[in-house]
Amino acid sequence: MSGSKIFLQQVLALLAKDLKTEWRTREIFTTMFVFTVLVVVVFNFAIGADTELIRQVASGVIWIALSFASVLGLQRTGQMESEEDSLQGVLLALHDRSALFIAKMLAHMVYLLVVGLCTLPLCGIWFHINFIACIGELGIIFILGILGLSIVGTLFAMITLHTRAREVMLPMLFLPVSVPLTIASVYATSQLIAGRTLRDIADYLSLIGVFDIVFFTLVLLVFDHIVED
Amino acid sequence: MVYLNGVIKHFGTITALRGIDLELKRGCCLGIFGPNGAGKTTLLRILATLARPSAGTVRIAGYDAVQEAEKVRPLLGVLSHRTFLYGHLTAYENLQFYGRMFGLKKLSERITEVLQVVDLVTHGHQLVRTYSRGMQQRLAIARAILHYPKLLILDEPYTSLDKHAVNRLHDLIICLHAESCTIIMSTHDLHRGLDVCDEIAIQCRGKIVYRGLSLGTDIQEFEQLYSAYVR
Amino acid sequence: MRTLSMLLISIISLPLVFIRKNSIIQTTMMYIVMVFAILLVFIYAPNEQMQGIVQKIFYFHVSSSVTAFSAFFLVFIASIMYLWKHAEWWDAVALSAAEIGVVFCTLVLITGPIWARPIWGTWWSWDPTLTLTLVLWLIYVAYLMLRMDAHDPKRARFAAVLGIIGYVDIPLILWSVEKWRTLHPKPVLIQEGGTTGLPLTMLLTFAICLVAFMLLFFYLLRERVSIIQSQHAIEVLRHQVDDIPTE
Repeated sequence: MSGSKIFLQQVLALLAKDLKTEWRTREIFTTMFVFTVLVVVVFNFAIGADTELIRQVASGVIWIALSFASVLGLQRTGQMESEEDSLQGVLLALHDRSALFIAKMLAHMVYLLVVGLCTLPLCGIWFHINFIACIGELGIIFILGILGLSIVGTLFAMITLHTRAREVMLPMLFLPVSVPLTIASVYATSQLIAGRTLRDIADYLSLIGVFDIVFFTLVLLVFDHIVED
Repeated sequence: MVYLNGVIKHFGTITALRGIDLELKRGCCLGIFGPNGAGKTTLLRILATLARPSAGTVRIAGYDAVQEAEKVRPLLGVLSHRTFLYGHLTAYENLQFYGRMFGLKKLSERITEVLQVVDLVTHGHQLVRTYSRGMQQRLAIARAILHYPKLLILDEPYTSLDKHAVNRLHDLIICLHAESCTIIMSTHDLHRGLDVCDEIAIQCRGKIVYRGLSLGTDIQEFEQLYSAYVR
Repeated sequence: MRTLSMLLISIISLPLVFIRKNSIIQTTMMYIVMVFAILLVFIYAPNEQMQGIVQKIFYFHVSSSVTAFSAFFLVFIASIMYLWKHAEWWDAVALSAAEIGVVFCTLVLITGPIWARPIWGTWWSWDPTLTLTLVLWLIYVAYLMLRMDAHDPKRARFAAVLGIIGYVDIPLILWSVEKWRTLHPKPVLIQEGGTTGLPLTMLLTFAICLVAFMLLFFYLLRERVSIIQSQHAIEVLRHQVDDIPTE
């Protein structure tokens, strides 16, 4: 059992290191948050003044903004590990390499959740949507959806770390593969906003859940092949 | 302590290592010399479990470095041209991170200890990105020895070090050697290499072409030897 | 149902990948079947009442679709084998299958609108299978871009991971796109070439057409794999030549 204790210890050490660095610079969070707000505002202008229309597309706009912000955040995270090749240093200290994946994924989840939490009130005000009424259920969708985005995103971030056209490759890989997640999250969110309950969106919920489980397992299986030389 | 047999490494169509056989006893200090492209870095990366051999056996302290890599890693200390440090953390925090990763007990005392060895105690709570290059390399040394490694792997450690750091590293290697730490070092610096190593090897084009004791070999002899083998 | 039969076809045709060389007999046979298939499509198969001659695209459209899916299945299997055995041949198979798969996938995306326009009046209908094909096209084009950047084993491993992920994603994409589709108004309700309810003549024509496409696919696959292996051999020789010490 000491193996899992070491594992947990390493995940926490990595997570603490990432969050501490981010707290110092606040680079990733600021980039993601500002970008999300920008996307939401620009969409607002593009759609027009029809409040009913905006209410209908609000959910889509939020999740698109989160996806794109996710891509930006991942690129910064990758950059951080490339400086001074710190990734190699971490690999030297790792007992089980999947600890690295889990720590990075959790860190990214934290960034996305915080960004989401900050953007949601703004969207509530701008789109005239009452999020508070369904805040509990919404929270569940957000956590599961963001978990999925983080799993897939972290994987592709590590893959594209040393590719030449990293800025292009990461979204090219990340966005199509996460289509099921995006679709399910967007429609689950819009149903919740329209007043439905969790039972009504059970199939979307199970889709997101299955996506998360399948991809999490898959990545854990293949992660060693990605970081090895 | 270290045992390599028939180690071959391909990178696609390029063969970096063509069958390396190497044995090192515990407490020995080996210096590997060779031209660029000889495969020295590849060899050291395989020893450090950062790369897998395409063929051959690698055993460190009795463990198979490929199958039991996670048992091998805590025994290794690695120093390379990149420092593996995080610029936005302080020296203390960097070492704390690595200490936690290795599960070290009495971490704060050990951190102070290694910072003293590399003479960085006064700058311990400054961000690493404010350090000079030489200071960063000194901190990298501290990082490498933090977890009491039994095998120290140094890939051209004297590059980009200032005079002060070079002397410090030199003394440190001699000190660790005295404590029966096994050391493998690749370097271009023939003088220091001969000075500090027990044994020397020359690697050329993916093979070890010479292996011998450094005792009694003076620098001119070695330079001739080197030119002869690296043809 | 349709996806299941496509998967079945993919699995059944898998052993063909182990035939490594294109013999003259195989190539001739393939050409004969292809010509036969074209004859069947234009002469033997009857014109469909409602759609007219345009319906004949269906034979090529659906055959391309099945072939593309089989190709991606092959990428999936070859990727797993490559990660497991580290044999370069499997990597060559994965890359070739992906390239040819993307080509057939592009054909599906081109023939689809050509068929849809005269029948439904629109070029694109966001039909679940067509949408799935579009998303897969994006994923496997990204696969090719990933490989074009660098040719070392590490990159090959990354691509293998993507090859596995892309295929595993298919049921999830299909599920989500079908759900999404139910939220949008459907256009005219003509089946997109379902094989149920087809008269025997059409079914027979389709079967021959499909066999022709699959034979073509494996023919191209073998040629491509042997090109990759020749390129490798040349690289190895070149490095050996470079290594000879000059006096």
